[in-house]
Amino acid sequence: MQLRLQCPHCGHIESYDGTPGTRIVVSCLSCGQQGQISFPFNHETAGVPAIEVSNLKKQYGTLTAVNGISFTVQQGEIFAFLGPNGAGKTTTVEMIESIRKPTQGQVKILGKDINTSFDEIKHRIGILPQEFKSFERLTVRETLEYFSVLYDKSADIDEILKAMDLVDQRKKLYGNLSGGLKQRVGVAISLVNDPDIVFLDEPTTGLDPKARREVWQVIANLRNRGKTVFLTTHYMEEAEYLADHIAIIHKGNIIAEGSLDDLISRYGKGNVLRIRNCSTQDAIETLRINGFDVISEGNGDIAIPINYKERVLEILSQLRHDCIEYDSIDIRRSNLEEVFLTLT
Amino acid sequence: MRIKVLINDFKASILTWKRSKGTLFWTIAFPIILILIFGAIFSGQSVEYDIHINDLDNSQHSHQLISIMNETGVLKPHTVDITSNITAYMKNEDIARLLEIPKGYGQALEAALSGSTSPITLTYYFDPSEQSSSSIVRSIISDMLQRLNLQYTQGRTLVELKDESTITEEFGFIDFFIPGMIGFTIMQSCIYGSIERNTKFRKDGILRKLLTTPITRSEWIFSKMLFMLFLSFISTILIGIVGWLVWGVSIHVTPLMIIIIIATSFLFSGMGMLIGRFVKEEETADTAGGAISFPMMFLAGTFFPLDQMPEALQTFARVLPLYYVNEGLRNAMIYMKFNDALINTFAVLIFAAVFFIAGVVLTKWHED
Repeated sequence: MQLRLQCPHCGHIESYDGTPGTRIVVSCLSCGQQGQISFPFNHETAGVPAIEVSNLKKQYGTLTAVNGISFTVQQGEIFAFLGPNGAGKTTTVEMIESIRKPTQGQVKILGKDINTSFDEIKHRIGILPQEFKSFERLTVRETLEYFSVLYDKSADIDEILKAMDLVDQRKKLYGNLSGGLKQRVGVAISLVNDPDIVFLDEPTTGLDPKARREVWQVIANLRNRGKTVFLTTHYMEEAEYLADHIAIIHKGNIIAEGSLDDLISRYGKGNVLRIRNCSTQDAIETLRINGFDVISEGNGDIAIPINYKERVLEILSQLRHDCIEYDSIDIRRSNLEEVFLTLT
Repeated sequence: MRIKVLINDFKASILTWKRSKGTLFWTIAFPIILILIFGAIFSGQSVEYDIHINDLDNSQHSHQLISIMNETGVLKPHTVDITSNITAYMKNEDIARLLEIPKGYGQALEAALSGSTSPITLTYYFDPSEQSSSSIVRSIISDMLQRLNLQYTQGRTLVELKDESTITEEFGFIDFFIPGMIGFTIMQSCIYGSIERNTKFRKDGILRKLLTTPITRSEWIFSKMLFMLFLSFISTILIGIVGWLVWGVSIHVTPLMIIIIIATSFLFSGMGMLIGRFVKEEETADTAGGAISFPMMFLAGTFFPLDQMPEALQTFARVLPLYYVNEGLRNAMIYMKFNDALINTFAVLIFAAVFFIAGVVLTKWHED
């Protein structure tokens, strides 16, 4: 099987081949740091999609919250389910988690229908519900032990504490933790049964930027441990940082789906070179004569859409050639937020 | 049902409970403080009391005495004609107070008028389990008889009053109050415990999380009931110990008492589930819990005997489950009235079945 992993040190993403159930030592091709990779052991579900959603629909009276959506999540990937508030994200994820009953449609987890096999599936998934708060007067360790006893198979609590960087917090009461630590405990709870798939419903909502980054690192590490992550979020930056595969839901419909690069190339406006405080009229004339599409942004700034980085050098050479002065240049890359705003 | 899951949840509930100062106060300190305060400041109230009269004399003077009682506006005499065992009659007819006017009462008064003093004794039978009202009635009758003595013999004793308890043991207000306090404490912990589980746990996503784990609904309910029973018995033991140490209350541990405590825990847990089912917000549900439990606490004879309340409220109290809990515990653990305790237990069991089943069935475990 193949795992696509991100180096926790430099962020470089690389694919590694291995046998299910084995653990190998690898070196990052970019920074050279060494680490271990575990390949999930399960012959039965090898090659089967982690989640298959077909024609899933949820109707409340005349209101259609989710309108017959379909998508597939592969094992080992971080799948980001994006959408504005009220788009149907949580309704969808709660139908997949069997908390809400769909009006129609089918959900399969690791090849098994949740309607008939959810009791079995429960042992193979871990869930962090939206706005989850655990028992306030249990310590972190007691909380993890409480949830682990509910399962037939459980992971080593000490390993989870270590992996989630919660060792120092293990004796603290959950109610006394900061928001970021509570979310980390929430993620840790979802791992107590060593699940194959982890559902995280808006895990960073309400956290400050530092705490959010900490949770991102935890989620990235889940992928490194071979878990499939179903991440529901409305933070574009979060999806950009973490996701291998993104689906955008709007008004109950999936309006776009693919990798980050796919979505940006399909729906983004491309890269833009911005030249600040130049002799606008001369610059526009010079560049247009040479075949560039130039937009005046006022205050002496101009913007030029570019598709290839070689074009930047051409533009700068042309400006130098015509002795056109400017203060600075920058290149704005098209991003997921732009795609999201365009689509929604 | 998996025992390890039950033990695990029970252990977590205990840890959570013992670390919450507020919960510890309401489940342990508050009832003890109430026992100490109410035990110290016991007082009666001005209302009308029934008194049954067994007039063996049936003379003009005995009729006059009954008429004076009636005119007090506090006593409400009912004439009875008993020739057999009075104590048994009172128990059978559920009579709390009875005054027997002996044959010769009229003659003694007539003789006194002509200067011959031949003392005569009226007997006051009372149910000590209604000690508060019985002692008030006794003091009114004593006062009337003192006036009579003053009128006929210038204060020398002509008519005197003898007490006869229908129960051999002597009971005080605290004997009445301790079982009421146990019933009240169980009601409070179970209602608010259930409300917390059905509103706060829902709001915090704990119920949603548990739905996606292998714990079953019956394991969850059973383990929580195990904890509520633990709390109920802890409260009962502590209240009993304080009552015994401070007030010398004699508590009998009987099977009926244990059945009532178990049934009461189920009853009020079910009631809490129903409140949590229909009132979603935690704060509003707490208020709703208070709106139901506090009036019930006062109306169901927790602090004061029912016969001190107006008739309409007495009738209303008899539809309240806490009334049967209080009366059942009193009869089963203090007064040892087995037949009455059995009837109360039966009523509590019916209420428990109705509320607990309704609570479990109507509680929404899944989202719409």
